[in-house]
Amino acid sequence: MSSTSIPSKFDVAVVGAGPAGSATAYLLAKKGFKVLLVERGRGLGDKQLFGGRVYAQPLREVWPELDKEAPIQRWVTRERVSLVSGDKALTLEFKGGERKSFTALLPQLVAWMQRKAEQAGAIFATEATVDEIMFKDGKAVGIRSGNDVVYADVTVDAEGVNRLLLERAGIVPRLSPDHIALGVKEVLRTGSSQLEAAFGIGSDEGVAWVVVGDVTRGVPGGGFIYTNKDTVSIGVVIHLKHAINAIESGQLNNHVYELVEGFRLHPYFRNLWHGATISEYGGHLTIEGGLSFAPKRLVYPGLLVVGDAAGLLLSTGINYRGVDYAVYSGKLAAEAIEYAASHGGLTYDNLLEYERKVKDSFMYRDLVRHRAVEMLMNDPTMFSKLAEVFIGLFSQMFEQDYSVPTPYEAFTGALTEHNMSLNKLMSYMITAVRGL
Amino acid sequence: MRIVVGMKWVPGTQSVRIDPKTGTLIREGVPSIVNPHDLPAVELALRLRDKYGGEVIALSMSPPPAIKGLEYLIGMGVDRAILLTDRVYAGADTLATSYALANAIRKIDAEIGKVDLAVFGQETTDSSTAHIPAQTASWLNWPYVYYVRDAWLTEDGKLRVERILENAIEEWELDMPAIISIAMKSIKPRPVSLLNKIRFKTNPSTLITWTNSYMNLDVRCVGLKGSPTFVAKTVDVPEVPRKKIVYKPKDGEDAARWILKSLLSDEKASRALLKALRGSSGGEGS
Repeated sequence: MSSTSIPSKFDVAVVGAGPAGSATAYLLAKKGFKVLLVERGRGLGDKQLFGGRVYAQPLREVWPELDKEAPIQRWVTRERVSLVSGDKALTLEFKGGERKSFTALLPQLVAWMQRKAEQAGAIFATEATVDEIMFKDGKAVGIRSGNDVVYADVTVDAEGVNRLLLERAGIVPRLSPDHIALGVKEVLRTGSSQLEAAFGIGSDEGVAWVVVGDVTRGVPGGGFIYTNKDTVSIGVVIHLKHAINAIESGQLNNHVYELVEGFRLHPYFRNLWHGATISEYGGHLTIEGGLSFAPKRLVYPGLLVVGDAAGLLLSTGINYRGVDYAVYSGKLAAEAIEYAASHGGLTYDNLLEYERKVKDSFMYRDLVRHRAVEMLMNDPTMFSKLAEVFIGLFSQMFEQDYSVPTPYEAFTGALTEHNMSLNKLMSYMITAVRGL
Repeated sequence: MRIVVGMKWVPGTQSVRIDPKTGTLIREGVPSIVNPHDLPAVELALRLRDKYGGEVIALSMSPPPAIKGLEYLIGMGVDRAILLTDRVYAGADTLATSYALANAIRKIDAEIGKVDLAVFGQETTDSSTAHIPAQTASWLNWPYVYYVRDAWLTEDGKLRVERILENAIEEWELDMPAIISIAMKSIKPRPVSLLNKIRFKTNPSTLITWTNSYMNLDVRCVGLKGSPTFVAKTVDVPEVPRKKIVYKPKDGEDAARWILKSLLSDEKASRALLKALRGSSGGEGS
């Protein structure tokens, strides 16, 4: 190689330029740290995939200019939850008004975050895969990519849900289906006027819609619908462990893309995007049961773990919070590194500040508090039965020829029809309420 | 030795669609990539540099988004890259493009240092003319060999190349400076390296932009004005859906009967068959 010397020593090396890594790199670069941000994609937000909604407030703490500058598709003004059983559906709608969350196409949003990091002075190296976090005497000293070694005082692991680097370092075991769900998504192009008419919303409104029940053929998981500017993101998330069980028991014999197709063609939903073209298609793994997915520690000598890799993702069945958790953990990591640097150096003891910050944060508290709900949402019987019973109840109340049932008759009728005892239903409800 | 390697920023091939009305490529929203056939050329240039020393300079004429492609080549190990970019270069056919590239090579030779070799991919995935290396060689009056898959220097300082043809492998010896184009898929390109990507991001001098105010080319010879050829018509040939009929014949005669019967039962096919039979009987009348 000719003359020029290439910097191969940084204050901080961040592996993975998703929401967590980009936020960490942005904040540290802004504070004057010499930061390397490494990404195996092309740096156009490639390889980023999620359902479609981001909670704004944690992101505003990193980028106060978020509302004005970020590629926001629509602010969510309406929340819908549907239970589906066969062709029947029961939907609850909440109309809010505050700018709490927005829909986005993740590649666009992450590309924006990556540009922010680069503009702040981070060196953003794309199309380079990190093969290994390098350790010396038990301390992370940098990263290796092919034959290239780059040294860093601190390495921040923001590699996402598929933690090959932490696996190779012996920090986490191999990915187990117990803690993983598979999301499959389509982006349907409808045009904004058709979209607004079909969803019954104004041009400054957006819908976030959670679908529970038959959409995953009784396998724990669910469907989602998010309205973008002129497209609709729809998809199915299916718990891997239960999917495997369902396949082995013969309950499920479809490829997961057929589940999305079934959802797209479902009689209750299909008219929302009638005539649309599929403009994108993708799949991604996601975490279920964040705390049990987390590595033993979030800080190791010379190494911090942020975002999905740290198990920081909440899924309650109704609320899914991943992108904002990732960004917020990146913010806490950046703050901890800054704290350590100003308190005598980037030592293990000083870096433990990150773990303390995470444990004090809303994320950790919520992950602990919602543990029971997460377990509940993972129970296959509860999942399919609840949808059936409630749909049955409303079907008894509304689908009548002559006699009008009393609510009690409708309720007991639905229970008998779906072979569910009152005791069993109550125990589900009590668990659910306790968890909530 | 100083080696110049050409790069074209092309639409990703799998996502290219043709507008059925206008017959032109729909480039909007299609992510671009480095022309895949350029990568073996880059690899060979890097191998020659690694073996004999010197430098590799990537050269591309394109609007600025092609910087992403030049960044990729620098990531592979190319020492620096030159982007020829100017509104007056837009709409160039192969003649106008090769004119600009040849002049850029002359400019490199004059301003940076003597150029010994220019390497190109065999052709590009978006137009497949394979004109550029030959035309550039003509402008420069340099010797040119195509379908090359290996090259090395002889003891008396000449370039020896191995070219692969359909049924032969030839060796040619060329005086330098020379131009070669590399047979597609003949050399596996190396991956991008992290340190080279860091070099691109930390060293602004790795990317040089030359506009026409610097190149000073006659505007009648570049871009649309300098392009005597244009695409007169493109016909989109839609895929014909096949009927996929499976017939299991008892023997050859049965198979022939079945085929003949099937063809004659279709009006269009039987007409074509009769026409073919008349043609083959050599006008003896029937």
